[in-house]
This record gives sequence, C-alpha cells and structure tokens, in this order.
Amino acid sequence: MDQLTESMITIFLNDQPFQAVAGASESLLDFLRHRALATEVKCGCGRGDCGTCAVLFDGRMVKSCLVLAAQANGKRVYTIRGLGRDALMANLQDSFIQHGAIQCGFCTPGMLMAAYNLLRIKPTPTRSEIRQGIAGNLCRCTGYQKIIDAIAAVAGKTAFVSEAADSLDSPNPTATDQEKAKAGYLLLGGG
Amino acid sequence: MSFTTIGTVTPRKDGIGKVTGAERFTQDITLPGMWSALCLRSPHPHAKILAIDTSEAEAMGAVVLVPDDVPDLFYNERTVSVPARTYRDRRVLPRVARHVGEPIAAVAAPSEELAFRALSALKVNYQLLPAVLDPVAAQSATSPSLYQEVFFGDEVVAVSNNIACQRQITVGDAFQALAQSDFVFERNYSLPRVYHHQMETKSAVVRPDPDGGVTVWCTTQSIHNVRHLLARIFSLPMSKVKVKKTPLGGSFGSSIQMNTVIPICAALALKAMRPVKLVSSREEDFYSHTKYPSQIHLKIGVNGDMTIQGVIADVLVDIGAHQIQAYPYLGSICGWMVSLYKWKNIQYEGKAIYTNKVPTCAMQGYGNPQMNFAVESLIDEIAHQCGFDPIEFRLLNYVGAGDEFWGQGPTVRSIIKSCGVEETLRVGAEWIGWDRRQMPEVKSGRYRRGIGLARGFHTSGAGSPLPAEVVDLSSATVKVNEDGSLDVITPLQDLGGGTNDAHAKIAAEVFQVPLDKVGLSAVDTTTTCYDVCTHASRGTYVGGAAVLQAAQQAKTMILDFAGRLLGEFPQQLEMVFDSKLAETAVQSIGSNVKRMSLAEVARMAMVNGWGTAMGSGSYRQKNCPPSFVTNFVEVELDTLTGIIRIARAVSLADCGTLINPDLAAGQLEGSLMRYGGYALSEETENDPDSGALLCQGFITDNKIFSTNEMPYIKDFQTYFANTYEPSGPFGAKGLGEAAGNSVASAIANAIFNASGIRFTRLPITPERFLQALCERKGDQ
Repeated sequence: MDQLTESMITIFLNDQPFQAVAGASESLLDFLRHRALATEVKCGCGRGDCGTCAVLFDGRMVKSCLVLAAQANGKRVYTIRGLGRDALMANLQDSFIQHGAIQCGFCTPGMLMAAYNLLRIKPTPTRSEIRQGIAGNLCRCTGYQKIIDAIAAVAGKTAFVSEAADSLDSPNPTATDQEKAKAGYLLLGGG
Repeated sequence: MSFTTIGTVTPRKDGIGKVTGAERFTQDITLPGMWSALCLRSPHPHAKILAIDTSEAEAMGAVVLVPDDVPDLFYNERTVSVPARTYRDRRVLPRVARHVGEPIAAVAAPSEELAFRALSALKVNYQLLPAVLDPVAAQSATSPSLYQEVFFGDEVVAVSNNIACQRQITVGDAFQALAQSDFVFERNYSLPRVYHHQMETKSAVVRPDPDGGVTVWCTTQSIHNVRHLLARIFSLPMSKVKVKKTPLGGSFGSSIQMNTVIPICAALALKAMRPVKLVSSREEDFYSHTKYPSQIHLKIGVNGDMTIQGVIADVLVDIGAHQIQAYPYLGSICGWMVSLYKWKNIQYEGKAIYTNKVPTCAMQGYGNPQMNFAVESLIDEIAHQCGFDPIEFRLLNYVGAGDEFWGQGPTVRSIIKSCGVEETLRVGAEWIGWDRRQMPEVKSGRYRRGIGLARGFHTSGAGSPLPAEVVDLSSATVKVNEDGSLDVITPLQDLGGGTNDAHAKIAAEVFQVPLDKVGLSAVDTTTTCYDVCTHASRGTYVGGAAVLQAAQQAKTMILDFAGRLLGEFPQQLEMVFDSKLAETAVQSIGSNVKRMSLAEVARMAMVNGWGTAMGSGSYRQKNCPPSFVTNFVEVELDTLTGIIRIARAVSLADCGTLINPDLAAGQLEGSLMRYGGYALSEETENDPDSGALLCQGFITDNKIFSTNEMPYIKDFQTYFANTYEPSGPFGAKGLGEAAGNSVASAIANAIFNASGIRFTRLPITPERFLQALCERKGDQ
C-alpha cells in the first residue's frame, strides 16, 4: 500500500463488512466494481450524468461515481443485490418484469434503486412525482413509460416494512457490525 | 389467426437477471489474471504519427501496442455487404490519426491505475496535418485530403476531393416531369450528427487460448462478423476464434460493425499473452460512433389533382474519418425516399464526404429518419400551400400493398403484401382530434399548441428474391430435450427489444409447450451456424423465420418418433397442450385415441436409441416487407422561453402479428424518446477549429430526453393495426426501426401548425425557435 496515495477502506456492503485498499481519488463505483466485484452496479458514464450506478449510501441514494471510496469508509452501502430480500424492492423488481419496463436492462439496477428510494421517502407518489423521482436516471430504450407504469403499480399498494429499510435509516453500522468486522469476517478484496 | 403463446404478454426470459443486476455485460466480465487496457487517443483531428516512445511505459511493466505491432491489413469494420461492394480504409491502429479521439496506441497493465500511468508515459511525435472539417469545403480543389486511395473490394481506388463514394439512381425522367408539373416545391434540409447514446459503452474482453486462438466477449450485434474479421486480421482459422454471445446494453446500430476497441483488445491480449479487458469511457464512446448527418436537397413536382409527378433529390453526407456503410447508406436513403410515395420519376444523387470527424454509422433507421424528415416536411408543406387535405394527399400517393418496395437500396426489392397505412392514419386522426385542429394564423398568446402528422416505414430485413448487395442470412437450431422441454440455439443478438423472447415464443407455438419450458442457450460462434447481424429490423422476421424452420423440422422428427411408438402415420398426429394434465401431448388429429406426452416421446426416442429430435439450418428470406408507422403529435410551444413540449402523441404501427405486445409498444415509446430528442435537443457538435466534440463527453450537454421531456402517460398512446404478413413467421414483420422514422417529422409538422414556422434543420432547439420567431417579427 502506498501510504501517500492509498488507504485501507472498510465499508458495510449489503450488511457484510468489506475491506480493501483504495486510491485517494478512487470512486465508490470503482471500489464496488473492481475491488468488491459488485458488478450488479453498472457504469454508464462515471461522471454523474446517467444514474446507472445508483446505490444506497449513508441512508440515501447516490450516484456511486460521484462519491469517493474514502468517503464511504465505515459506512453502509446497499447495492441492488443487498435488497434482494427486501419486500419493497422485490415488488418493484417483479413489477418491472411484469410491465415490460426492461429492454436492454443496463439502466435497470440504477432505475430500481431510484424507484426504491422514491417510494421509501414518499410511499404514495403521484405519477408526476414518479417522473421527478427518476428524472436523474437515463434510459435510452424504453421511453420511460413502462418504467413509470411499473413503479405506479407498486406505489401505495402495501406498507413495506423490512429490516433493510430500517437499517438504512441508521446510516452508522451497529455494534454487531463493528464486532463482525473485528472478528475477522473481512472479505479481503484486491488492492 | 389465434395463437397460444404468440401475442400474449409474458415475463421476459432475461428479466430476473436484469432486475437483480446479475446479467453480465461485457464490462462485468472478470477473468483470472486479467489485465486492464486503455487506448491512447489522438488530440489532433489530422496528424501523422511519426514515432511513439514506449520505453517509460514498458519500464512500468505495461504492454504497449503501437501501429507497427498490428497486421498491415486494411478492412471495413462492417461486413454485412458482400465483399465486392465494401470499401476498406482502416487498420487496427492507424499511421495517420484522422479524427480527434481516434485510438493510435494502447496499453495493458495489471491494474487500471497502472494502465493510466503507463498511458500518460507514452510520448508521441506527431506531424500535424491540415484538417478537413466542413463537408462542402472538403470537395474543393484546394482542400487537404484524408486519403489518397482506399480499397473497394479487392481493387485500389483513388479518392479525389474527399469523395468517399457516390451513387446516382434514375427512374424515368424527373427533370421533364417537374417541368410539366402544376407546382414544384424545393427545399434544403439539414440533419444533425447525433450520438447513439446506448447505455453501455463499447467494450471487449479477450482471452488468448492455449491453441493459439482467442475467446472474446464484446459489445456486438453480430458475433459471427466479429469472428470473421478477427480471424482475417490475426490470420487465425475461424475455428480458433470463439466469440461469446454477451448481453448488450443497448446499441441502436452502433455495434453492427466490429467496434474499434475489439481488435485493439485482441492484439493486446495476444501480445501480452494473458486476458485483457478494454472498456471505453463515455467520452471515448462519444468519439467512436455517430449517426449519419445528412443534407438533403429535395424538389417535388405535383399536379392540382394531388398526384405526385416526380422527385429530384441530392444528398450530401458528412461521414467522418472512415467508411463503415456509407456506400450502402447512399443506396438505402434513396430507397427510403422511393418507397414513401409513388413518385413516377426519380432523379437521385448521393455523395459521401470524408472529414476529420468521428466516423458515422447506422443508427435506428439508417437514413430513413433523415429522408423521412425531408419528404414528410415537404409533403406537409405542399398540402398546406396547395390546399390539399394532408391525410387524403398521403393516402392517394403512398406506396402500399401490391407496390414494389426498396428494402435496402436499389438491389433489395420486394412486393408489399401487408399494409396498414390507411388504418393507422384514420385511427390516429380520430384519437388526436385532427378535424378540430386550427391553422397557425388564428393562434396567439404565450403558449401555442399545434398538431402534426407524419408517416413512415422501415424494412424487415434485407431479403429479396435473389441475393443482392447485402448478406441476409440467419441460422438457428431447436432441439427437444428428454423431458419435453426445448432448447433454442441462436447466435442472433437481442439488442434489448426482446427478439430472443420472440424466438422462444415461436418455438413454443410450434410445439404447443408453455413458454417456461423453452430455454435460450448460451452460445458462441463455434456452437452456432452463421447469422449476419441483428440490424435492418430483421431479428424477428428473418431470425424468427430461421427458428420457425428449425422448430418445424424438430416437430417432424417428434411426430415420426411418436408414429412409431403409437403405431400411427406421423401425418395423422398433432401436438396439443393438455391444460388438465398441464402437459404437451402428441395425439391423433382431433381425438386422443392414440396419445402420448411429448416428454414420453422424447424420452423413448432416447431409450430406443433413435436420437434427439432437432432441427437446424440457415434461412434466407426472399422478401423485405415494410412495417408502416404513423405518428400524430401535439406540441406546446412556449414563445417566451422557446421550449417546445410534446403535449400529446399517438404512435400507430403495422408490424403484422404482434409476438410480444408489451415489448412492441415499448419500441414505439422508446422511439418517441429518441426521436423526440432528435427533433428538439440532441446534436453532437464539433468545434469548427479543433474538431473536438463540444459536449466533452458529457451526456447532459448532449441533451437526451429524461422523464421530464416525455409526454404524460395518458397523453401518449400506441396502437397496432390488424395486419398479417404472409411471408413472416406467424405473420410477423420487424418493428425496431420503423418505430422511430417519422417521429421527428411529425413534431416539426406540429410546430408549423402551432407557429406557422417551417423548420428545415434539426434539432429545433429553444434558441433556434426563438431566433425564428424574432426573424418573422422582423419581416412583419
């Protein structure tokens, strides 16, 4: 490790501690994709334009290319994979499939994160609010109509209570998480 | 016709992979011991590369690829046209950089970070050459040249005045026809450079194999054409080039050709003797491909009885630094014009000009949106000026059932058998409230609304009675597994529209099995027969027909096996789905006296040693039926800010039998997004001095539509005409490209109806709209 330009970063990725060396200017997106091999996070531009790389970080949705890996040190990060058992996300995923809201599928993980984020903050949005809520995510295939349909079909349908959603509201890892990290559950990435 | 699976809405087969992020695109492939690669790209629009000092980069442990390292072979990245009609002007790394952003060297290193460091350590000695950036000035005798000579087929041809290629097409005598017409209308139209903006950037992963060959994962619309080219460039037998079918994050035509990064990655992997991954950044991708910008001069003669007498068209295309499919483009764009209306007399001249800009390639519609904008704008203007009813004028003159259609330029023609033009025009007019629309003169106030219409079409594939300039071949295999489930094996790439789902449905329909019993196999070039490419909206019409043929062969074998097992003539047997037992059965036609489940037949054929029921083969369509689309759009203009909003829209299509109804609607919806942007906001402009892109690789500066620019859902409808294409699989035609061709034309016509201003240049940005408003006020 180059002490001047690199540092050891630990994130709580989908509730599991993950530790690897990251460069000083390394984005969270690169850290997730290249170090943690979390390829469910796609890279569409790397410059904050497209929203493809959206993840939940520190309790809110971010474009992971605009966050430094170092900023994420000690923080929780959820990718779409980590929300696989979350009732709200599972419903959104199912709704996307049922409504033909997927074409090439490249923007889909980011789009689902945006939808999830919106419905957590505002469980019963109007269609206009759905449009606004996902306006930062670009899709070149669908024209957005079926994506909005899919989100609207889930919105307000059920009150979703889930462990993941709860822990999202407490951005700092719990004592158990910290202990897990200390106890050596670390999944060491390349570095 | 009624179907069991076809035409039903079903969850797409790759849906779960895509919503969980588990789908692995090229950029997600990681191999043990894999190195990262980066390209060094020219900062100059035109420069000779005298020397590249690689010593420092190599001292860091990087492997460097320079022009001297690559085979001295000139090729065209696109191999869809027959070789004799293909221009070739590029090698893997050029000795002369011909546009800003052209890759001139590449490095591979154990990490991306080290690759970046090695890349910045390369020292290039350039000899700057004068740049050619304007396609008109490029043709003057004093203009510098991009090329002295290029290859056409196996011949060396000289390039003069930067004219890459040209075509002339004459039918009848248009000059005389226009001289004798009651009215002649003439306009110049200008269509912009537009970036494809597929969400996934062009990428490749190449692994050298122990046998000296390569295994390749890459962004492509044709795994077999990538294999052809890599085999040729690196002198490998095709059997050693294994290109894996890899999910594609959108494409819109930008991967018909082998993307530039693919052979660079292969050369690096072969030199480094280890797997190498090369992923373009978004900015690099902007510098890799763009739609054909075209200037169209159009002259139409028409008589007072609403009959069109003739057309004269001159097309000038600024193709940038390399030919990808400029020559067929010049033929196709003429064909799109020819097949819109019954012109009777046609005089066409097309010219493609080399400039020091990003190379151009097909983008959804391949010249059709460009030509459609010119023709449908002028047809609308003629109707308005002459007092013709715009719908009746079109209905009187359109090319439809029984007429000859040019599917891909003058050599690919067939007779139209199915046509829903009239239905789409009538239904659309009613939905939008066409009869209630008012003329621009009566509109006032800050916000003004207007309704516009345009119609278009696109080919389904490039098939014609005899093989022509364009290769149009698909292959597929269908086999019946020992439990009665099916495997569909096709090399045909799904660009996201659900083409492979259509293939699965076709096989399910033939066998009357539930769709979830049909699997789509993971394949590569060594396990599949040749398929030309997913382009020209041929995936369902041609690729689907190949699957249908294979499925029918496999079914014949199953009926034969069942005949032996049941003691019945195979032709007396049929396949039915038994919903009570939830199984597919083979039984006597019309009764179940003799009956056996499909699973049992397939299993017994294995037990008895008869074999696997399967069908496999290549297929060429002898037709290229057009799918017709009509667009009605209502716009709202803000005369204060200049912002133009699509307030309401209806897109109506005739694509024969619908195989995936929801995904077909998705094609129309996505096209409104892409061609709404084409009409109103998107343009990749070059700096006139440096040749660099002004957007600097930022998507936001290129202004593609987000949700904000789309009409509200209740204000946007799609509709499908009730037609059946006799030559298509279960009556289906293509749709992907037809969906977008007339969108921008309808928007421009609606803007005229709202404001009285005819725009002949796209995009109609707020700045241009306000400027036009000011100029008109100045006139008054």
